[in-house]
Amino acid sequence: MKTSIRDMLYEEPGPKTRKNIRIFTILSILLIAALLAVIIRQFAVTGQFAPRYWNFFTRWTTWKFLGQGLWVTIESALTGAVIAFVLGFLLMRGKLRRNKILHAVSVCLIEFTRGVPTLLLIYFFFLIVPQTGIKLSAFWKITLPCAISACGVVAEALRAGVNAVPYGQTEAALSLGLTETRLFYKVVFPQAIRFVIPSLIAELVIVLKDTTFAYVVTCADLMQNAKVLISNYDAMLSVYLVVAVIYILINYLLNKLSDRLAFRLKTGTAERSAA
Amino acid sequence: MSISALLSQYGDRYLQALFTTWKLTAFSFLGAFLIGILVTVLRVCPVKPLRSFGDFYVQIFRNIPGAALLILLVYALPYLKVLFPYDVCVLIATTLIPSAFCSEHLMSGINTIGVGQIEAARALGLTFFQMIRRVIIPQALRSTVLPMTNLMVATMLTTSLASQVPMRPMELTGIVSYINTRSAGGVAAFAISAVLYCATGLVIGFAGALIDRKVRILR
Repeated sequence: MKTSIRDMLYEEPGPKTRKNIRIFTILSILLIAALLAVIIRQFAVTGQFAPRYWNFFTRWTTWKFLGQGLWVTIESALTGAVIAFVLGFLLMRGKLRRNKILHAVSVCLIEFTRGVPTLLLIYFFFLIVPQTGIKLSAFWKITLPCAISACGVVAEALRAGVNAVPYGQTEAALSLGLTETRLFYKVVFPQAIRFVIPSLIAELVIVLKDTTFAYVVTCADLMQNAKVLISNYDAMLSVYLVVAVIYILINYLLNKLSDRLAFRLKTGTAERSAA
Repeated sequence: MSISALLSQYGDRYLQALFTTWKLTAFSFLGAFLIGILVTVLRVCPVKPLRSFGDFYVQIFRNIPGAALLILLVYALPYLKVLFPYDVCVLIATTLIPSAFCSEHLMSGINTIGVGQIEAARALGLTFFQMIRRVIIPQALRSTVLPMTNLMVATMLTTSLASQVPMRPMELTGIVSYINTRSAGGVAAFAISAVLYCATGLVIGFAGALIDRKVRILR
């Protein structure tokens, strides 16, 4: 992309600089290659390339099993994201209310959910909720804390979106005689949601990452199924590497989608305001 | 158990846990910050392979779940004859993940610097490294105080990963599970840790807002 400042940092290099850049390019390629070689050598020396660590990945059942785990992960992340959205929406509405008590409660809840690690909430649902006699399945023990830990951030994102809608829209709607509720749902929110879709997707990535802790509550997600595979095949390194790559790829694609939507949104509004 | 009973029995441990969390947060954030700057320099330097390496680094550590990274470090690396003690593994995980986000913040900080400034620096005859050190990094840092504050809070939350390995002394999340395996600590055991986390986060946020007001460049 030529628009990035990255490419503006230096002018067209002259012959001397070009030579230097070429030397450094070759040096850095050698350095990176050496790094890779060290890693590969370490794999070879410790016998981690042995076929017994990798052969079972050619079997259909392995992928089916990992796929089942992945499905639970996705299910948990999506459910968590939906719950986080609903809770975040309510908190955002509460924070924007003129009612002082409602406002204060919402602010406290938002700050609380943003300030506490997901793992602590997971331990709350895992260790402390059962003490009160409430029985939850493993799925909800991981999904609920992930949702709660995300809802504060979602609330703030939604609030930023609502604030980004120009105030003239509100004035226009009010002068047309819309009630406050209809103003919010018909005019402000539909525009606000467009602004925040990229950050909502970024939040989905965080929920997905948090669901990795499902092994704490022994919910059969991707990570937990990986553990089963490991005990079946006695292949710790290969399985964990493959699982990590799966997670990274999914999150990478989601982040890419979020970036692209953000970019489209930015250029889209620029075009419209220019027109 | 009530809060007072818990505090009289486990008060020292909570205090120790709080300090452990602070210590982990401070070291991780410092490390993440330094690595973040280094990676950002790689990502803007004119040498293509280094750029790609920086991008690759950021994508890996931005997208890997903390638990997956920690498990790789603790349980899988020993198979490669790379063995770290538990606390070092935790520190590596809680440094590398925030370092990627740190670099992302710095990159967007750099993007707020006008092209005109770069041209001006070049016209004054500054070399690439002078420009990086005197023009880009100072401005990028000044405009990223608030994201960095959030990053520090995020780093604090990441340090809860330490509860996943038998690390001593425990930090604020580990102690909750420790108490609950000994006695039914109930909601109070959880609430004390939660309050300590929130209080720390609020102090960091407050300090960040203060610094931001001092150094922010108004454009």
